[in-house]
Amino acid sequence: MRNLPLSRLQTRQVFPSGEPCKLNTNLMSKQTEQIEAWTRQAVPEVLRAMASMELTSVPPAPFPLDADGQIIGSVGFTGEATGIIYLYAGMSFAKVITGNMLGIEPSEVEPGEMVNDAIGELSNMVVGYVKSRLCDTGLNCTLTIPSVVRGQQLSVEGSSSVARRILGFHNCEHQLVAEILVKES
Amino acid sequence: MSIKILTVDDSKTIRLIVAKAFKTYDCMVLEADNGVVGLAVASREKPDIILLDYTMPVMDGFEVLARLRSDPALKATPVIMLTAEAGRETVVKIAKLGVRDYLIKPFKGELLVERVSRVVTLKSKTDAVEKVRRYDDPISILVVDDKPAIASQIRTALEGTPWKVTSADQPGQALDMCMEQGVDLVLASLSLPNDGAYMLFQNLRSYSNTASIPVLGLSVKTAASEQTRAQQAGFSSIITKPIAPEELKFKVCRALRLETSYKYFQQRESWLALTLPKDVNQAVLDEVSKRLSDQLAGTVEAGGNKLIVDLSQSETVTLTTVELVLSAIQICSKLAIRYAIVGSEAVLSQCRAYEETQSWMFAKSADEALALLK
Repeated sequence: MRNLPLSRLQTRQVFPSGEPCKLNTNLMSKQTEQIEAWTRQAVPEVLRAMASMELTSVPPAPFPLDADGQIIGSVGFTGEATGIIYLYAGMSFAKVITGNMLGIEPSEVEPGEMVNDAIGELSNMVVGYVKSRLCDTGLNCTLTIPSVVRGQQLSVEGSSSVARRILGFHNCEHQLVAEILVKES
Repeated sequence: MSIKILTVDDSKTIRLIVAKAFKTYDCMVLEADNGVVGLAVASREKPDIILLDYTMPVMDGFEVLARLRSDPALKATPVIMLTAEAGRETVVKIAKLGVRDYLIKPFKGELLVERVSRVVTLKSKTDAVEKVRRYDDPISILVVDDKPAIASQIRTALEGTPWKVTSADQPGQALDMCMEQGVDLVLASLSLPNDGAYMLFQNLRSYSNTASIPVLGLSVKTAASEQTRAQQAGFSSIITKPIAPEELKFKVCRALRLETSYKYFQQRESWLALTLPKDVNQAVLDEVSKRLSDQLAGTVEAGGNKLIVDLSQSETVTLTTVELVLSAIQICSKLAIRYAIVGSEAVLSQCRAYEETQSWMFAKSADEALALLK
């Protein structure tokens, strides 16, 4: 994560319960809105195709957290559009997603490499979806390789020069959050 | 013959999803986690199709494809590119690379199978098991020779089998027939003009629906260099002229993996009958030896404890016959199976010429043998 210029990791929750999330509304632009819209389409579409899971879009919620910890998958895009998209999930939901992708029970999912790889690949597909549409609008960019961070109470804090959007998704009792950081020209 | 599918993807998840998608098909899924390993596996295993990720560390899909296309042994291997990037520009770039197809991630396993099945013929594992053919099944054999007399000789040699023999005098005509008529096996003359047999062989291997058809070369006995060349090219076997019917049948059976053991083995209520034909040649020896152990084990599993070797059809007892019976006796002693030999007086006296047969128990009929073994 240290090579990604738009953000830095912090060890606090971004959206503690009851505390409103801070959005950099001054830097919103059409491009960011488009990326937000594409991400809102991409996340359920990718989860439906790869994990046979239906996700519904919900307002941003507190950071997904459970006793097993948290996982963040991220992929950046650089070029004529630059940004990064993070997918946050609690570890128990990450295991459910991984299990569905591989056709095995969540209890059979190894919590290490198997979950990392699945979440990294999902992040890659979500950002690949966005990148394809950016390129189709004439904004050429390339993707970074996926990276995954695991831990407790992880959060990402964007710098003041980027636009930031938070999207919430819901499946049964599970939450998944997508955070979009876009460097605006 | 199992289809070999090579998946080259840095994501283990994707490789597992690919393997799972083809789990019910008669195919082998080979994996590589980067382009360099992918090229090495492709070179070693000669897969029927490669599923190649576009974005990978170490060596990306673009470079892997370029290297595949520059390798004479792999350049014809069909490639389906998988990519998470579906932009128009990327799609155009991928199409220009000469891939057979591309698939945008995310994808469903069913879609992947459908795309792959457009390029190679996928068979379900159940079908593959069911399609073990027997010697008495109808088989379609295509003879490719510019001399009509050869096809006629082959028809005569295969008389008594339910096999259908058709013929073509040109490789192009033969290829059309293979594509359209469901040919099971090709017998091609190695002396066709302009390396016609080799051209036909290469063409058959380049189409998914003909790639698994065994091709046997027809050659005169003395043309050793021609035969070596055909074997090196990948021909299943060589049939030498003048054609020996038994050798031809044996090689056809072997090339098509036809089940022939029922001709020799019959499981009875408490015993196994091993009936040897008049001529115990190498083909018979190979077939019986291959199945002997399993057949005797099957007899024990079914509660049987006797073997009767029927030599009554044999006119001449050769060392080959004796060796075959000895190997059966060896297995019998391990499995506590009692045995007896059925044959005429002539057979008995010929057997007695071999020292190893002195302890054999002889009978004139199966009933007599069973009575002896009680």
